[in-house]
Amino acid sequence: MPRTKITIDYSKCGDGVGIDPRNCGKCLNVCDVAVLLCHETLGVPQDPIDPQTWRVSALWWDLCNRCMKCVEACPQRAITVSW
Amino acid sequence: MKHGAGGKWYLNAKNYSNELAKELDLERYLTEQWRFFETLYIRKFMGGLVSSSGLGYKLRLPIIGRVLRYEVENMIHSESKNRNPIRADGHFGQVVPLEDAKLIFANLAAEPIIENYCMCRVMQKGVKEVCCFNFGVLSGVIEKLPRFIPKNTKLRLDREEAIARLEKHNRDGKVATIWFQPVPYINAICSCETPQCGGLRLRNDFGLNVVYKAEYAIRLDPDNCQGCKLCVPMCQFGALRYSPSLKRVLVDDTKCFGCGLCRHACKFDALRLVPREEAPGLKGQY
Repeated sequence: MPRTKITIDYSKCGDGVGIDPRNCGKCLNVCDVAVLLCHETLGVPQDPIDPQTWRVSALWWDLCNRCMKCVEACPQRAITVSW
Repeated sequence: MKHGAGGKWYLNAKNYSNELAKELDLERYLTEQWRFFETLYIRKFMGGLVSSSGLGYKLRLPIIGRVLRYEVENMIHSESKNRNPIRADGHFGQVVPLEDAKLIFANLAAEPIIENYCMCRVMQKGVKEVCCFNFGVLSGVIEKLPRFIPKNTKLRLDREEAIARLEKHNRDGKVATIWFQPVPYINAICSCETPQCGGLRLRNDFGLNVVYKAEYAIRLDPDNCQGCKLCVPMCQFGALRYSPSLKRVLVDDTKCFGCGLCRHACKFDALRLVPREEAPGLKGQY
């Protein structure tokens, strides 16, 4: 089976540019296998006590069952899933 | 006392003590670990070569997968002096039934005991749920990090309050787990739910020994079981199934983690926990 490729457009969601994924979380919630991870963005200067710049990553992409629910749920249309 | 030896490492009072935390300089270690906990899975390890992204795929690769598994197990169980907090080295746990968890809260957990947001649920499901208990030095560390502090519930709990809250979570269907963090210091009881629990993900989907099965296993009395099926949805491990031909529930011993949640649903006294070491065929299987 070809590898699943999940991409997230960080100009639309996360990284302090698009909407804040911590206030949305629709993709996380709709994914029954919990493929996605919401985490503070690395590589940007952050307050270590209370970081404010977050993004979603497709962490466990190998477990994705390609149901496309995250793609449909995202109000920003930031997620694509292909294989 | 090692896990999986039939002895209960989590009943050893020394493992909860402030002295141990001080001796290992754990306030510093845990501050570092908890500040960056959500980034644990995306950080590179093994000299910057790999992250946990697509870990299941990577673990299935020939040769590389075996090396990776060996390295990750070493990190999980590390007792070395130069452990890395941002990889949560030495952080693993075990499923405990409600009775043992109560015993821990009543007698062993170091104060202060706090109940904060479950980080796993926030980062994998976008759901804020207050069901994660921490003790001792770790409580002080977490109290300084605003994102873990619950808005509408009490943060610090006394022993009775902690027991009552845990019992509620357990009866609601969340599995109690006790954690080394880092080994041999014990400072957390979680109310876990698969698949969003980081520990259960690594164990159930990738076969990594982050969470061990309980010191118990379930036994079903086929004479008492009335086939009401109420226990089946309580099991997070897929160990219970209703058989229409036998008109009763079947247990898959190899999948049972011994959490005992199914018992909460049984009205006919058909489900009991027995010590794993006394269960033929399950001895030594954690």
